[in-house]
Amino acid sequence: MSIQTLKGQLPEYAKDLKLNLGNLANETALSEVQKAGTFIATAIASRNPAVTEAVVAEFASKLDAPTLNAVKAATAIMGMNNVYYRYLHLADSEDYSKLPAKLRMNVIANPGASRQDFELWCLAVSAVNACGSCIAAHEKVLRRAGMTPEQIQAAVRIASTVHAVAVTLEAEQTLQSQSLAHAA
Amino acid sequence: MLTVGDRIPSFNLQAVVSSEQDKAFSTINDASSPGKWKVIFFWPKDFTFVCPTEIAAFGKLNTEFNDRDAVIYGVSTDSEFVHLAWRRSHPDLKALPFPMLADIKRELSQGFGVLHKQEGVALRATFIVDPQGVIRFVSVNDMSVGRNPEEVLRVLDALQTDELCPCNWQKGDEFLKAA
Repeated sequence: MSIQTLKGQLPEYAKDLKLNLGNLANETALSEVQKAGTFIATAIASRNPAVTEAVVAEFASKLDAPTLNAVKAATAIMGMNNVYYRYLHLADSEDYSKLPAKLRMNVIANPGASRQDFELWCLAVSAVNACGSCIAAHEKVLRRAGMTPEQIQAAVRIASTVHAVAVTLEAEQTLQSQSLAHAA
Repeated sequence: MLTVGDRIPSFNLQAVVSSEQDKAFSTINDASSPGKWKVIFFWPKDFTFVCPTEIAAFGKLNTEFNDRDAVIYGVSTDSEFVHLAWRRSHPDLKALPFPMLADIKRELSQGFGVLHKQEGVALRATFIVDPQGVIRFVSVNDMSVGRNPEEVLRVLDALQTDELCPCNWQKGDEFLKAA
């Protein structure tokens, strides 16, 4: 399983995604670690087991164990924060931002990887999970840390494409098993 | 009595860590379990009635406390031999997963300021101490009233829970630095 496998499985109507995926796997704007982590985090967040498997197989070797752990931690904790803070941002009432969240998120203080990289992966996952306030906040942190718009954009392009690939391959999987079911 | 913001006093005590004769005793001092939160709870006397229920209740929550990077120390002014005898005689205490400290010289009870003025034994006091040795929670009951260890766990959770994510950023706030 690899990026090559995923590309091979993408149907003709999704050729754009296939080519984007290939380009992004070779993207140079980010460091190898940042790129690998972004691919893995956004694959997990896109919730397609086959895509997660392929992306991890392709990229996990670029990361040492604590860093891979930090990537997974970012995805896990943003799974929670993206829902919670999106709610705070969208709710009509100011009351909720005054209440203590009472949600543990201590892994953010000590993720086991570079702080900046961790923030980048949080941003990428927030893009997949569609939390506007999270995106705004993490983007500001990254810009203050000195990342350029092009670098951050690269992470978001990866998030966008990985997500699209996940959705497409899931659909193809369903339709294939459906047609097998009908044939039977 | 010490309170929130005070430092834990230094101490060096014998403790019972097992019901088996050859593994029973160990020494615990203020440098033990570095980097961990400590939940230190005192009771007046071994071999009395309210205490075993509370102690066993803390024991049942030991994994929950450990998950939160906390160790539990139970303390009374009884000797380590009395602790061992009580552990072995009481079914709820036999497999207790945390140490029972023997504060026989009353150094820890006095250090914390929890000796009952007339009785001379420890009050039912509970302290949560952070990894830097600072007291963050204090609770004392009169002799006859047991504690609720679930409440202590709830407080520990609350002490450890901070909104660390910049997602909580409001327009105009200062920022966390991605150091």
